[in-house]
Amino acid sequence: MARNRRHQTAAIRFGPAIKAFLLCLVIGGFGIGYVWQQSQIDELGAQIRIRENELNKLVEENRIRRRSLNNMFSPPFLERRIRELNLGLVQPQPSQKWVLRELPPDDPAPMQNRPRDYAARSGIMD
Amino acid sequence: MFVALALILAFVGLGYRLVDLQILRHEPLKALAQRNTQREFLFEPRRGDILDVKGNLLATSASVKVVCADPSLIGNHAPEVARAIAPLLQLNESELIQKLTPRTRVNDRGIVVTNSYVRLRTRVPVETWDLIKTNMAGLTFDVDESKLPRKEQTFYNNLRKKALFAEEYPIRVYPNKTLAAHILGFAVTGERKIDEHLINEIQGREGIELVLNSKLSGVPGWRLTETDRRGRELVSFRTQDVEPREGVNVVLTIDSFIQNVIESVLADLMEKHTPISASAMVIRPRTGEILAMASYPTFDPNSPGAASADARRNRNITDVVEPGSTFKAMVVSSALNDGTVKLSDTFFCENGRFLYGGRILHDHESYGNLTVKEIIMKSSNIGSAKIGILMGENRVFESMTEFGFGQKSGITLPGEVRGIVHPVKNWSKVTIAQVPMGHGVAVTRLQMAMAMSAIANRGVLMRPMLVDRLEDASGTIVGKYAPQAVRRVVSEAAAADMVEALKSVVSTNGTAPKARMERYTVAGKTGTAQKVEGGRYVRGKYVSSFIGFFPADNPELCISVVLDEPKEGYYGGQVAAPAFRKIAERAASYLNIRPDIEEKNPSSDVVSQPEQPRVALTR
Repeated sequence: MARNRRHQTAAIRFGPAIKAFLLCLVIGGFGIGYVWQQSQIDELGAQIRIRENELNKLVEENRIRRRSLNNMFSPPFLERRIRELNLGLVQPQPSQKWVLRELPPDDPAPMQNRPRDYAARSGIMD
Repeated sequence: MFVALALILAFVGLGYRLVDLQILRHEPLKALAQRNTQREFLFEPRRGDILDVKGNLLATSASVKVVCADPSLIGNHAPEVARAIAPLLQLNESELIQKLTPRTRVNDRGIVVTNSYVRLRTRVPVETWDLIKTNMAGLTFDVDESKLPRKEQTFYNNLRKKALFAEEYPIRVYPNKTLAAHILGFAVTGERKIDEHLINEIQGREGIELVLNSKLSGVPGWRLTETDRRGRELVSFRTQDVEPREGVNVVLTIDSFIQNVIESVLADLMEKHTPISASAMVIRPRTGEILAMASYPTFDPNSPGAASADARRNRNITDVVEPGSTFKAMVVSSALNDGTVKLSDTFFCENGRFLYGGRILHDHESYGNLTVKEIIMKSSNIGSAKIGILMGENRVFESMTEFGFGQKSGITLPGEVRGIVHPVKNWSKVTIAQVPMGHGVAVTRLQMAMAMSAIANRGVLMRPMLVDRLEDASGTIVGKYAPQAVRRVVSEAAAADMVEALKSVVSTNGTAPKARMERYTVAGKTGTAQKVEGGRYVRGKYVSSFIGFFPADNPELCISVVLDEPKEGYYGGQVAAPAFRKIAERAASYLNIRPDIEEKNPSSDVVSQPEQPRVALTR
């Protein structure tokens, strides 16, 4: 009887110990998991912040480049550069232009009789 | 027992404190805690750009810095710092040394303090500020810093990192400087208070910047978040994050190239004829679109304060003048419309002197009989006065209001005036003879150009159109403006008759042969109006103008050129007509407007063979 009790007692003590250990493991696991998750959130937050700043910087750089490009296309800038580089570019003379004649239209209605003016389109009459 | 009692009391005390903090004072303490940790950031919206019809940038926004220094952190190293940054800030090195050298003063409490804030330069581009930071970080001094005591090491660190600092603010940039200045207007950076936050905002003050300010401005965004000890945002604590809504881009009907053409022609006119002012416009008669509008003297909207108020005025819409002979086209059109006269009707022009209502009207040459067409061609004052008399006072007044005189045209620009058209009851006996020749009435240059465009547009007056569309940042159209017909002012037949008469103005017998173009039929009218000062006409002071359109029978462009008190010639046909021709030729070439006059010797079906290498500057 006593022997049995001794055996029983040992079995009872081992079980709770494992349970307690597992419980601690779970609680500890949750704790570590929570801390890890928080650190990941912070890490990702920092990365988001860095990327947002980079994006803003790139957007601003893009604007600066677009502005420079536009400046280079602006007529006053082009005229100044032509003068500076002494390119001698001028408006084409009439003799330098090719003027193509239109073939007679298949449509019997001549172009000038078509209602192409705004007055006719808007229906305003006398 | 005593210990137990003490413990119970302690726990009761703690419990009460807990209830007090968590329940009784929950709300105020929560607010206090939030104030300590939460941060609200407001985001300024980017102001929309202003573009020309081809998408060229006319106005945009940029971030710039105001660079400041803390001399207390610089100590006796001002010369080294000045040497590193003076070229970047484009400042004189010795002046900069003076600014950076610490100054001491005794404050109210009798303590000696060193100045810690000096503003070095405003409007510094962000790229320049980046270079300044790099130069500052690379500063070396003739000491081995690693061997210095910790305090001195900190001093050098602070000097490099904190002695210079900058605040960012937005500014409006007009990359083409004076180009289209009177249309764009200008904008300034100001502060606006939103929920106890001050934000820097660009506010339109003139021109399109002012009229479309609400559309260009956008809506601010905000972010509710928390920051760490060093002020860095803790992204995971963001509770509200609303992006700012950018202002829309305004696309004008203006074409930069044509705008540049008229501005360079006006600059030449200012040099050659030294008028008080000169202005020009290019309009598409069919739609009322304004392709270019300029006025000299002008200003740079990047620094509007540097120009006088006079130079900032858009004279095309703010100034009124007696239009002179250009006005004959409108009154005679109405007479043709009513059937009061026909082009072939003849009027006796009194050999240049006509007594009417106690006044003598003059022609600049003595004409006898002239047809209505010749009255327009020769610009006879007496002939047009007689047509006006035939029409009657009420009809002349009515025709003026029909053409839009005495009313605002409705252009999307601020400061437009109505002009002066006196009601018939205030007319004297001679007014009926004066009005048809453009006297006794005051109009804006825009009103005149729109009225002439109405004749070109087969009798339909259009509303001037300056804004083509509104786009968001990605280029999606959020609003499109359509041409608006105001009313029919004369019949198509009457308009066609008037065009016939106006074509003769540029003939060798007309008043403006210098406006004639080689490959296009031009129709137009000159004006040379004596100026009125103190209620009297002044000798030697004229407003000279030419308003014309081409190709005459299928007009693509209507161009107006006006000079106020030109020297070296004052007739409209002499000073304004050549400018019209210059503008018209370049615009026609650029817009590829089909010529309506055949070349004299076409060699084949493909008309002309280029004789020289093709060197064309067109975009």
